[in-house]
Amino acid sequence: MNKRFLYLLLLPGILFLAAFMLIPIMLTIASTFVQDGQLTLEGYLHFFRDGYFNRILFTTLRVSVVTTLVCVVLGYPAAYYISRTSARKKSILLALAIFPLLTSPVVRSFSWMIILGKKGLLNTFLLSTGLIHDPLEIMYTPVAMMVGLVHLFLPLIIITLLGVMENLDYELVLAARSLGASSFTAFRKIIFPLTVPGLIIGSILVFVGSLTAYTTPALLGGKERVISTFLYQNAMTLNDWQAASVIAVIMIVITFVVVGLMNKWANRLNPKG
Amino acid sequence: MNKIMGTVLAFTLTAALTACGTSGNNTNGANSATTNTTTNNAVAQETDKPAAKDLVISTWGFSEDFFKEAVYEPFEKEYNVKIVVEIGNNAERLNKIRQGSSDVDVIYLSDYYAQQAIDEDLFEKVDRANIPNIDSIYDLAKAPLGEDYGPAYTIGRLGIAYNPALVKGEVKSWKDLWTAFPKNLTLPAITATAGPMIVDAASVVSGSTEFNEDQAYAKLKELDSNVVKYYSQTSEYVNMFAQEEIAGGPIMEMYFKDLKAAIPAAVFVAPSEGAYAVMNTLNVVKGTDNKELAEAFINWQLSKEVQEKSAKGKIDSPVNTEVVLTEEEAQGVTYGADVIGKLRKLDMKFVNQNITEWTDRFNREIGG
Repeated sequence: MNKRFLYLLLLPGILFLAAFMLIPIMLTIASTFVQDGQLTLEGYLHFFRDGYFNRILFTTLRVSVVTTLVCVVLGYPAAYYISRTSARKKSILLALAIFPLLTSPVVRSFSWMIILGKKGLLNTFLLSTGLIHDPLEIMYTPVAMMVGLVHLFLPLIIITLLGVMENLDYELVLAARSLGASSFTAFRKIIFPLTVPGLIIGSILVFVGSLTAYTTPALLGGKERVISTFLYQNAMTLNDWQAASVIAVIMIVITFVVVGLMNKWANRLNPKG
Repeated sequence: MNKIMGTVLAFTLTAALTACGTSGNNTNGANSATTNTTTNNAVAQETDKPAAKDLVISTWGFSEDFFKEAVYEPFEKEYNVKIVVEIGNNAERLNKIRQGSSDVDVIYLSDYYAQQAIDEDLFEKVDRANIPNIDSIYDLAKAPLGEDYGPAYTIGRLGIAYNPALVKGEVKSWKDLWTAFPKNLTLPAITATAGPMIVDAASVVSGSTEFNEDQAYAKLKELDSNVVKYYSQTSEYVNMFAQEEIAGGPIMEMYFKDLKAAIPAAVFVAPSEGAYAVMNTLNVVKGTDNKELAEAFINWQLSKEVQEKSAKGKIDSPVNTEVVLTEEEAQGVTYGADVIGKLRKLDMKFVNQNITEWTDRFNREIGG
């Protein structure tokens, strides 16, 4: 078949993306540089000079970074275990792991209220054991937000890591062991470097997901605001689309920077990856 | 590796953008279907009449079954129209008509959002001669946003609900918010419909006879350490109340039944300084082809028949003065000329002029 004809098959998809994604994004970005018909950076300067906005940005980044780290720490061993079990057990464990993704964020957030609330399971348990005397205030704090986000995104990192781990050649480990490496050295020198791509992709997905999550921070987050709820307030209740666009562009830039940094880091850890 | 990174980059960018756009829906209970079509087959199948016109109604979507059965279907039959319903919260639906991308004829909005639409010239002026039922509703509801625009079809009130086991002393006035709720209070977020009312209440409590913004904010700041969360959705309030995360706070009377269901000892009070009137209005959207039909619909929503059914079903408080309710039927409903007469009403024009600044101050000085 003519090669040019094959390119034509791409056309509908590209046109669709251009019309409904690229052009709107470009227009959104362009609109942030224009104020009263003049080209200006004022929209951005206004935000970055503002201590209040910087605080929101800092909270958001802190929550996203901690969520990502916790997901990595919890997800990596879980994915490793799942990848090494029998096929039947694997499918059950995988189904359990992705279960949180199948429930609505609203239901998920309300269920955390039952667990973390003043009269929730955790506090009731801790009070009954005498470990604490006053209920811990976890709900409506950044900690509750992080717990909710880890719950939401842990499946993502497990799935991405599992994809990589399942394709590992474990004979490499056996070879290393036979040459005298301890199991920890074999893990450090062989398994970990080979799973770095999955780790990076998973981390990016979790980080960006946490950065842009709206429902979970809105329901669990209490008085501290994050960038997505701030954007929503500007766009939907104050009808200030200019400010909302500026915030959206800042979020996009943060995403690009983080992806770029992680890419660099991944190349250092696994140059041949 | 780089190929993978490229794919991830594209994916994350999409995720970042879609997350901004869609997430709002999840919190107002309209996750999936934002448009909903109500048809009446009986009307459509009658062949001797001309094909039914569409009348597009934009509304919140609560108590959908009630509205379908008691409001839309009888109207469809009488006027040989097909009612199409669009659902969403106030802000979403107002934005839709702002962008001109919708063919809504009649819109249900709270007075606060309706005022924004009026300021932006998004409504038709109504012809009161086509809405004769206006004569039988409370004066307060007749023209809440001016003679040119639609009436309020329901007036609710914002008072204080509380769990008697968790408050210190009695709660009778707005002042008691400052003393009776040790670290277990919720207040509406500034951008919620009731937000500006709390700013006004704080000004009243500060002792100022006229509205004083600075004093109100100073007073609200005092209260902040006792606030667990500023709620945007009533469902959040109900959940916090049921889980005893909060002892209570300001809430609209119509939602009190949900609190009572969770905690039977719950109490609702109209504060002594006056509860706030919360009005929901009906208006005709600019550019409609069905203006008279839209006005007929507004008239129907004000009729004694609909008002009585919706009051008895505890869906909306009535504004039609001919509606008579027994004491039991009136429970949880804002009902009676004396109750309506005592309500405080905010000037929505004034609120809209100040809301951006109030929101900014609230964000910076008080809390989310």
